Amino acid sequence: MEHEAAEAGHAAGSGFPPFDQIGDFGVSQIFWLVLTFGVLYFAVATVFLPKIRKAVEDRDGAIKADVAKAAVLSASADASVKQFEAQIAEARARARDTASKAKAESDARTSAETTKVEADLNARLAAAEARINDTRAKAMANVSAVAEDAAAAIAERLTGAKPSPAAVKSAVAGVMGA
Amino acid sequence: MSIATDPMHQFKLDRWFDFRIGDLDLSFTNSAFWMVVGVLVLIAFLAAATSKMKTVPTRMQSLAEIWYQFIAGIVKDVNHAPGKPFIPLVFTLFSFIFIANIVGMMPYWFTTTSHIAVTGFMAIFTIGLVVLVGIIKKGFGFLKIFVPSGVPFVLLLIVTPIEIISFLSRPISLGMRLFANMLGGHVALKVFAGFIPSLAVALGGVGMLMGGLLVMPLIVGVTALEFLVAFLQAYVFAMLTCVYLNDALGEAH
Repeated sequence: MEHEAAEAGHAAGSGFPPFDQIGDFGVSQIFWLVLTFGVLYFAVATVFLPKIRKAVEDRDGAIKADVAKAAVLSASADASVKQFEAQIAEARARARDTASKAKAESDARTSAETTKVEADLNARLAAAEARINDTRAKAMANVSAVAEDAAAAIAERLTGAKPSPAAVKSAVAGVMGA
Repeated sequence: MSIATDPMHQFKLDRWFDFRIGDLDLSFTNSAFWMVVGVLVLIAFLAAATSKMKTVPTRMQSLAEIWYQFIAGIVKDVNHAPGKPFIPLVFTLFSFIFIANIVGMMPYWFTTTSHIAVTGFMAIFTIGLVVLVGIIKKGFGFLKIFVPSGVPFVLLLIVTPIEIISFLSRPISLGMRLFANMLGGHVALKVFAGFIPSLAVALGGVGMLMGGLLVMPLIVGVTALEFLVAFLQAYVFAMLTCVYLNDALGEAH
């Protein structure tokens, strides 16, 4: 089939135009090629490529500038973060300081109050104790007087004779002293 | 056989307007017309894409930038810093060949790169430029590319002629590759497409069915492949231009 087609091509007289017509049209083809190619080259070299190249370079420049700007901004952001952190740390230290000072102050006040109250209490305790001892001594003295009276009365009832107060006193003292 | 199935008819040049300077026939042909169309399409696109350049690009501007950076990337990878002045040239070469190939993919539109006169001239121009730049940059030292360093003298007697032949074959291979790819692809498309009417005529309804079910998918596939080739050949031409330029610009290899 291909053979037939090729044969037909020759039979129809088209021959092989690229070679057959080179004598007639070779110069014309080259002339128009040079002309159109030259026009395209001129347009490309003087107008279009410089424009495209400039756009590409401008974009690269813009990207580079933006990246540099972003780096600067990022660095300054880092710096302010650091500053901020320092401020926080300082504030925290100050707060801790204040808190510990307040605690020490309150501790001191508490202990002072405690000692004062304790001293007061101790004093009152001592006074109370003294009073108790006093009362007890007084009571004991009364007891010997009562016992003397009771012993004199008992002895008078039993013996009919009233004992001398000195004898009663010594007898009671002897019993109670034991 | 009619135009419909003649695979070579699509490559025929037609004189549209007569134009002569002296003895030179510079007539405006269908080939010239589609070159003009291709260049106008490119300029229109680039003008629209670069009309308002923004830092945040529009879709068109983005496409133009990708296109530029694709070419600039090739030049930078192959030629490094000395290749920078050649970016516009490589860009134009790639764009011109690419648009010519793509224009050629449209039905009834002429493929200007399917003619050896066009691709051959571009190749000769490229190699001529390499030689010119080489002589300007290195003077007589440019000839060192034919004499590989570190090769014994006896071997140089063999290697140097080979290097010269390989250098001289560059414009031929460069021009022939593009020409043959575009010509062959379009011939293949036409021949495969021609199978359908041939089958229909030969086998009737069965032939039509076979054409539709077997040949049509093949044509669709080959068409897709041709779009790839259209890009690839432009890329290869631009790439090889850079590689050859390296002989003139780069350190001795």
